[in-house]
Amino acid sequence: MRIKNPQDFWCGVFFIALGALAIHTSRVYPIGSALEMGPGYFPMWLGGIMVAFGLIIGGLSLRLQPDAIQRAEVKDWAFRPWIVLTATLVVYALLMDAGVGFVPSLMVLVSGCALAHKDVRWRETLLLSVLVTAASVAIFLFGLGLPYRLFWWSD
Amino acid sequence: MHDLLQNLILGFSVALTLQNLMYCFIGVFLGTMIGVLPGIGPLATMAMLLPLTFFLPPVSAIIMLAGIYYGSDYGGSTTAILVNLPGEGSSVVTLLDGHPMAQQGRAGPALAIAAIGSFFAGCVSTLLIALVGPPLASVALNFGSPEYFSLMLMALVCASVVGSGSLLKSLAMVAAGLLIGIVGTDLSTGMSRFTFGVVELSDGVGIAVVAMGVFGLTEIVKNLGGPHMTQTIVRGKIQGLMPKWQDLKTCFGPIFRGTSIGALYGPLPGLGGTISSFTSYMLEKKLAKDPSRFGNGAIEGVAGPESANNACAQTTFVPMLTLGIPGSASMALMLGAMIIHGITPGPQVMTSRPDLFWGLIASMWIGNGMLLLLNLPLIGIWVKLLQVPYRLLFPIIMTMMGIGIYSLSNSGTDVLLMALFGFVGYILMKLGCPFPPLILAMVLGPVMEENLRRSMFLSEGDATIFITRPISGAFIFATVALLIVFIVPALRRYRRDIGNEAPQRG
Amino acid sequence: MISRTIPKRLGVACVALAAMASVQDTHAQSSFPNRPVRLVNPYTPGGSVDIVSRAVAAGLGEIWGQQVIVDNRPGAGTVIGTEIVTRAEPDGYTMLCNSSAIAIMPAMYRSIKFDTVRDLSAIIHVTSSNSMLAVHPSVPVKSVKELIVLAKAQPGQMTAAVSGIGSTNHLTTELFKTMAQLDLLVVPYKGGGPAMTDLIGGQVKMFFNSAAAFLPLMKAGKVRVLATSGAQRADYAPEIPTVAESGLPGFESSTWFAIYGPRALPAALAQRWNEAVNRYLETPQAKEYFRKNHMRPVGGTIASFAEYHKSETARWSKVIVSAGIKPQ
Repeated sequence: MRIKNPQDFWCGVFFIALGALAIHTSRVYPIGSALEMGPGYFPMWLGGIMVAFGLIIGGLSLRLQPDAIQRAEVKDWAFRPWIVLTATLVVYALLMDAGVGFVPSLMVLVSGCALAHKDVRWRETLLLSVLVTAASVAIFLFGLGLPYRLFWWSD
Repeated sequence: MHDLLQNLILGFSVALTLQNLMYCFIGVFLGTMIGVLPGIGPLATMAMLLPLTFFLPPVSAIIMLAGIYYGSDYGGSTTAILVNLPGEGSSVVTLLDGHPMAQQGRAGPALAIAAIGSFFAGCVSTLLIALVGPPLASVALNFGSPEYFSLMLMALVCASVVGSGSLLKSLAMVAAGLLIGIVGTDLSTGMSRFTFGVVELSDGVGIAVVAMGVFGLTEIVKNLGGPHMTQTIVRGKIQGLMPKWQDLKTCFGPIFRGTSIGALYGPLPGLGGTISSFTSYMLEKKLAKDPSRFGNGAIEGVAGPESANNACAQTTFVPMLTLGIPGSASMALMLGAMIIHGITPGPQVMTSRPDLFWGLIASMWIGNGMLLLLNLPLIGIWVKLLQVPYRLLFPIIMTMMGIGIYSLSNSGTDVLLMALFGFVGYILMKLGCPFPPLILAMVLGPVMEENLRRSMFLSEGDATIFITRPISGAFIFATVALLIVFIVPALRRYRRDIGNEAPQRG
Repeated sequence: MISRTIPKRLGVACVALAAMASVQDTHAQSSFPNRPVRLVNPYTPGGSVDIVSRAVAAGLGEIWGQQVIVDNRPGAGTVIGTEIVTRAEPDGYTMLCNSSAIAIMPAMYRSIKFDTVRDLSAIIHVTSSNSMLAVHPSVPVKSVKELIVLAKAQPGQMTAAVSGIGSTNHLTTELFKTMAQLDLLVVPYKGGGPAMTDLIGGQVKMFFNSAAAFLPLMKAGKVRVLATSGAQRADYAPEIPTVAESGLPGFESSTWFAIYGPRALPAALAQRWNEAVNRYLETPQAKEYFRKNHMRPVGGTIASFAEYHKSETARWSKVIVSAGIKPQ
């Protein structure tokens, strides 16, 4: 059977998976009944609803032609920015939590952004990092008084 | 009437002193600037300035704190429109049409109409508070748990039905949003749900975290994708800084309706700007002659929600001032500030401290005027910013996101979550799933569940309570009607499409 | 020979080092504080702990001539803020101001990695406040005694709002329930605001809440206040009896606010903090300020508070168990 609407098909798969995960996680909590709903009652039902929707969306995708407005194909996936930008934020968060300091973390953040596209100009990136970091220190640390250390040796 | 006039004169005489004017200005200015920086919200700013207010006379302190609170809405819309970064739930609605407008070179009109709409809403709500504050609060008292639940259910179904994208996907996103909203401590038993052992999650996932990840990050990824990176946010020429006369005429209705909606939601404790903006957006889309314009730069989509949001922000003072009941965390802080200054809000505050009550109301009116005067000239500067090359702009946006979200609780967990939501958000975007229902569901989810459980508890398992109570019944009826009105055409289309299939396969 | 000299030399060296270190230590302590001090508040801004912590911070700032900053670190029922202080350097520059929520922390959160008695140094009991018991005007009772009679006659029908599981008013309500042997229907709300709305609207019949919330409403006739929860009558409302004297002898429930330091805080530093806060509490401004906020300044010695902390922890843990609240 050919998939008429790949976008909807994968969307269905996604929701079935997410719903199943929700149901599985809810089972740890007491479910209770409709009168005395336990903490697990609502999430389990939500998971079930999601699975149901996933099945319907996925099922329909096998039969229905997509509307003109909908894009049928899942294409043009921007892999590089998707991965790099997410990773940069993760690294920034870990660095800040590790106490490395505001300045190094921001420099890494801005430099990391530069890697997200092919057009990497190192001098421009460096200059931008310095400027952005300096401005941020001025606005957030001195202006607003956020309590972050500047470097890992500061207090 | 004579009383009202006297009270207003008293109020203005208090609000128009040089000192109070100055503090009002400081408040709205700070509020706007803070609002522009996503993540750092009015609550944190008010808290930081709270000790300063110890040295001020009570009325000045309250005026300043209030200015920060409603001023931040203006700033929040600015970032939402310019760079698709929603600092809070209500900004999410603004960016749906606001950012496309910016991309079309119409950022100026978008920002201007946001300011104008908010100003109008602010004036009207201030008047409303003055005229019908206490009765408004009493109406709110008729809203019990079943009413809250039915109202929110209706809003969610509305959001799915009126939104773009398929109804099924919207409803699935609603379910997903409700699930995200559930993360945290369960109300009735105190158990932690879906926190996977992470202590920072026991108070739930912040709306800013999800919104910035799902809108902000995915937008940047989208712009960087493809063979050529976006050059600047604006595609094409800037088309003037101010709305055209035609725009203003189109927006008159939305602004008026938005104000009414916000003024209705505001006095209900626990509901906020998010649901007001969403409701206004959905109403305007439903009423528009060409709904397909929404999501592509329809100016009504900015005017209505902005007015609703600001009206809600002002009228939310009503239960706090007249009954001492805070409707949100920010109101709780205002309440705390008042108590620290020896003022006990409640039914008698109008008679025991008329200078505070009417002074505050007058200064809210003045504050809204200041915000208009402050923001309109700034539009020129903001629009210039849009012409910065994107490859320089997006690291700045990322930095703002990183710092803003980190500052929410000074921990990296929120940033990690934002990255996660951005990562998964991109997948969802590619799969054609709309985000607004997710956001609304996330905001409403926990409150809905709480009210559902409480309703069932108080009714001893009798589910008909939602229908037998009149107000609640009305909302349920509207919900079902909405669903029918939208499902029937969709079913017909489905049957027709399946019918078209048959010959091919035969 | 060697085997006896080396240990002896080592011993002398150690003593010398220790002496030097303690001189350093005393120097640091006597010049304390010589840089800004951080008082951690484990709640979101604007709550009752802010009322206490910000005033104490301002007062200490004046006494010491150094800035004392309140740092809000909310989350997980004060666990996050408290944990930060347990892990802080015991140099007196990072301290905790918490409410009596800390007494129930061990019973509510089994998964926490610290011990509230062992990993914190009790410094001082700053203030106490009591809650008020109010009912909706439609409930036909005028005293606690009548309320108990009515509740016993309608088991499972008297609805009592509480603003969150494990909150002070929840535990107060549970204590009331247990001591009077009532079958109350406890209805949880997320926060005081929605609970108050439902009380005034009549959706729920009784609620234990703060004086600040009830007094104005009582004057306007929107709720009927039956009693206060303390051992003695409140001086801001001397005409209102206590629960103990109006139907339930022996009942006492207070919310208290206190300051703690990290574990192994040197006794001298703890003493400095204790003395400074006591000095602040004796100023007329402090007295007036807390009176306006319906709180009673307490003060006292480190030892007396440490005892109080232990006894309150034990008492409320029992209430949690008997209420059937499951810890996380």
